[in-house]
Amino acid sequence: MSYAYLFKYIIIGDTGVGKSCLLLQFTDKRFQPVHDLTIGVEFGARMITIDGKQIKLQIWDTAGQESFRSITRSYYRGAAGALLVYDITRRDTFNHLTTWLEDARQHSSSNMVIMLIGNKSDLEARRDVKKEEGEAFAREHGLIFMETSAKTAANVEEAFINTAKEIYQKIQDGVFDINNEANGIKIGPQHSLTNPGMSSSSGGGNQSSGCC
Amino acid sequence: MSFLQSIDISATASGRGQLIFGDHDGNLHFIDRDLQMSSFKAYILRVTHLYQLKQHNILITVGNDYTPKNPRDDDEGINPLIKVWNLDKIDRSGQPLCSRIVRAVPGNRPTKVTCINAHENLNYMAVGFENGCILLFKGDITKERHSKSRILYESAYMITGIEFKTHTSGKPVIMFVSTLKEVICFNLLPKDRDVKTVLDQHGCPVHCSVMSDISQDNQFVIGRQDAVYFYQPDGRGPCLAFEGDKLRIHWYRGYLVLVSKEVKPSSLIGNVQSPGVHIITVYDIQNKLIAYSGPLPEVTDVLCDWGGLYVLTGDNRLHLLQEKDTQTKLEILFKKNLYHLAISLAQSQQYDQDGIIDIFRQYGDHLYGKGDHDGAIQQYIKTIGKLEASYVIRKTEGRDVDFDVQTAIRVCRQAGYYKHALFLSEHHQQHDWYLKIQLEDIKDYDKALKYIGKLNFPEAEHNLKTYGKILMAEVPMETTELLKRLCTDYKPSDKPLVDAANLDGGAPTVKRANPDEFIHIFVNNHHKHDKLTEFLEHMIKVQPNSSVLIYNTLVELYLQACSHEMEISARVEKERKTLDLLQNPESHYDLDQALVLCQMYNFKAGILYQQIVQYHMDHGEYMHIIETCKRFGQQDPNLWIQALAYFSGKEEDCKQQIIEVLSHIDDRNLLPPLLVIQTLAHNSTATLAVVKDYIVRRLQQENDQIQEDERLIEQYRTDTEKMRTQINELKTSAKLFQVSKCSICCHPLDLPSVHFLCQHSYHQHCFESYAEHEAECPVCLPENRKILDIIRAQEQSRDLHEQFHHQLERAQDGFSVIADYFGRGVFNKMTLITDRSATKSSLRQPPRPPPRKC
Ligand SMILES: Nc1nc2c(ncn2[C@@H]2O[C@H](COP(=O)(O)OP(=O)(O)OP(=O)(O)O)[C@@H](O)[C@H]2O)c(=O)[nH]1
Ligand SMILES: [Mg+2]
Ligand SMILES: [Zn+2]
Ligand SMILES: [Zn+2]
Repeated sequence: MSYAYLFKYIIIGDTGVGKSCLLLQFTDKRFQPVHDLTIGVEFGARMITIDGKQIKLQIWDTAGQESFRSITRSYYRGAAGALLVYDITRRDTFNHLTTWLEDARQHSSSNMVIMLIGNKSDLEARRDVKKEEGEAFAREHGLIFMETSAKTAANVEEAFINTAKEIYQKIQDGVFDINNEANGIKIGPQHSLTNPGMSSSSGGGNQSSGCC
Repeated sequence: MSFLQSIDISATASGRGQLIFGDHDGNLHFIDRDLQMSSFKAYILRVTHLYQLKQHNILITVGNDYTPKNPRDDDEGINPLIKVWNLDKIDRSGQPLCSRIVRAVPGNRPTKVTCINAHENLNYMAVGFENGCILLFKGDITKERHSKSRILYESAYMITGIEFKTHTSGKPVIMFVSTLKEVICFNLLPKDRDVKTVLDQHGCPVHCSVMSDISQDNQFVIGRQDAVYFYQPDGRGPCLAFEGDKLRIHWYRGYLVLVSKEVKPSSLIGNVQSPGVHIITVYDIQNKLIAYSGPLPEVTDVLCDWGGLYVLTGDNRLHLLQEKDTQTKLEILFKKNLYHLAISLAQSQQYDQDGIIDIFRQYGDHLYGKGDHDGAIQQYIKTIGKLEASYVIRKTEGRDVDFDVQTAIRVCRQAGYYKHALFLSEHHQQHDWYLKIQLEDIKDYDKALKYIGKLNFPEAEHNLKTYGKILMAEVPMETTELLKRLCTDYKPSDKPLVDAANLDGGAPTVKRANPDEFIHIFVNNHHKHDKLTEFLEHMIKVQPNSSVLIYNTLVELYLQACSHEMEISARVEKERKTLDLLQNPESHYDLDQALVLCQMYNFKAGILYQQIVQYHMDHGEYMHIIETCKRFGQQDPNLWIQALAYFSGKEEDCKQQIIEVLSHIDDRNLLPPLLVIQTLAHNSTATLAVVKDYIVRRLQQENDQIQEDERLIEQYRTDTEKMRTQINELKTSAKLFQVSKCSICCHPLDLPSVHFLCQHSYHQHCFESYAEHEAECPVCLPENRKILDIIRAQEQSRDLHEQFHHQLERAQDGFSVIADYFGRGVFNKMTLITDRSATKSSLRQPPRPPPRKC
């Protein structure tokens, strides 16, 4: 499947907040009720369309456990977008946001778009963090904000797509240098004019026809 | 395997049904499936590396044949020779054929080989060296002549692993390389235009990189201290954080095999590595579980073949790790309650359907035991269709737990398992669900109805209200029966007639629903008339004091039935029934309403008005009697007569009333005076004064009438006389046509012309172009026709009248019927006929014969 752009995402946040579930819901439209602790870093991909353009999202789902922090950090580099997730039923996951944010800012490109996500919005009865608090935090740190539920799929699609829209807008505005892969953005095989052999490994890179 | 004990193993390989060992004496040993070993000497000095191709029976070896001249280089592995063996061919000495021998020295700098690999297309062979060089052989690697070598890359670090990405036929050849500090990907393009991509700035030691199989997308796998990393040709992929000092990593059919140093926590000096003991861990990557983990003394290599994993330990023993069969693995998973893993394992192993179902069941049981009933039902649902529904039912029956049956039912229903959803609904008394499913999904109306019939009164009532309409539409008879039961004396159909509660003294309470609330379910139903009638008749029979609504409705039904009945005798019978109902003093219908209805259905209303009057008479309400007469006297003048008879029969003084009644009778000329007198004569109290005015007036009127009649008689007589003379005249004397103008064009007449006795004359050509009929005068024709029509219509009037009404009642669009009649001109006559006074007058003055009109 050819694409116009490829965006790299990373999902971060405390263990158990639902990072893997968000990814699974986005890529497979499934929900996994059991906490399948992520050990290391997992990977998912999906195609979306923005502004009529096919965009491939390459998503890195990291382990939230403290002991894996050094490993997961090495994945920040080259991410164009980050989903910073907390669990609205657990205040400690909200309190740790600052640490996560510092980590992300330190190890990633400065242009990285960060979406703050309050997950498990289906568990309204057990809510521990008000929506307003999430909004305030996002405002204060210049993040986009959304509450989602990986269980009901509410806002999941939107979270991933809105982040992509923001990145796309930044590209349009010339904020991102799309030729620098460290920014986590890649131009699709048939769209790039330079180095045709370089970018294609799988997919129809061979038929490098002219521009669309 | 005792024979291994004598071998000083230096290298191993496996594949194509055999394990291969190289030793420090230059020998190669092959062990086949039957544990038969064969050996031959391949190098004079020693064997250092082995590589077995998978798709070809070709073995590549690295070893030493001679001692280097420079004693400083007299180190193991310097000046290595690569030999390529075709194991399918035997040479003259009975050994496998060595098709190629080539020195493995990068650029004249002797250095140890660290790894060797070849592409399955037999066109690429790469050798890695301690000094960081990679020597690439291109062209047919089995033949001396066709293959050229070059240094592909010189790293600052020791090359620790080389792997070709397989399954990329037709695409550029991809080669992964690990050094102590890097991971690199080479894209080997034609004409040596290679593209090098550094994938990571971290490397790994020797033996710690491996190619995964297609299940992991042929990624390059690197084992490092902190984790196992996967690499794609264009970058780093996922990673698994398995900590520990890794000695070797292998890949075997979806399993990642790690050999690491054992770390024992010690209270004295921190972590101590117990020497010589290694931990071997087998990860099932896809199912994310550890398939095996255990200590073994000093693992030197891991070989895979014959469907098993062989671990070679320092004491030259081979330890077999056999893959457990799926069932055993599943049991392990069950013990650990890792059901979702079990399911994905079973599915990935193409486990049979029943087996998977059983896992779902066990998982369900497990969740159920933990109190996660919703989760449990989700699992049970997956078993439905295979597992007996009763199992699920039984499981979900627990009284003590608050089981979310609704979810279960909903899920079953969504999944199309209606039978099971029904079971659940019935067992859990979810009547509403039961009925919804039965009616909307299964559409078994009989069953639904029977089900309602078994419910307790309030539930039965509620559900019949909700679903009555659809039931009535589908199973009218049964629904009506149930309704009758429900509104009479309801008992659930499967309960004993006398229930225990009533036996111990308590007065049996009769439960019945209000029939009024069920009439609506008959609406818009083509069985409406029969069934509703049946129901209502039943109701007034068992409860004569039924509500006004019931009676009203029944009256309407009866009237409708009458008006629709074409067959005379049946109609008479129906009318009789209607009358019985209307006249029955117990009937609680609303009079006004009933009247409107009677009018609507054109039910010969008299009886009914009389009914009302009678009603008031029975109650002695004089005022109302007069009122009623005034209101309905128009329709039924007999009311006044009835009233007169009533008042005149009264003992008390009803002078006022009688006078009033009389004046009305008088106005309408309802009774011959003689009859009035007779009627009044019955009344002892009626004095002459009461009737005097009436009689005087009547007599006066009679007189006037007589005079008028006489005058008319006289007039008719003269008229007749006149006509007679006219006719006579026409017959006997010549008629003189002295008309001078043509009646059509109004121009002076000239010949030829046409003359009529009606005194109309025409030019011949005018007449011919205008007249419809030769014998008729065009001017008089319309008038004559009209008169003829009137006569004819009067003859037919009765038939027409009835026909019209029938048509009107049956037509969906009554207006169009009326319009049609209008169009045919029938209505003019209709009014003529229905209007009584008009009829009378027209009869009194018969149409005059045509000649007179002209
Ligand atoms: N009710 C509810 N539960 C959720 C939601 N998202 C995740 N969960 C549950 O939360 C638990 C943890 O979810 P994961 O996605 O595995 O958590 P994670 O953030 O990936 O955790 P780590 O991999 O340890 O970092 C699981 O039991 C999920 O079923 C949600 O939106 N609603
Ligand atoms: Mg996770
Ligand atoms: Zn005429
Ligand atoms: Zn004329």
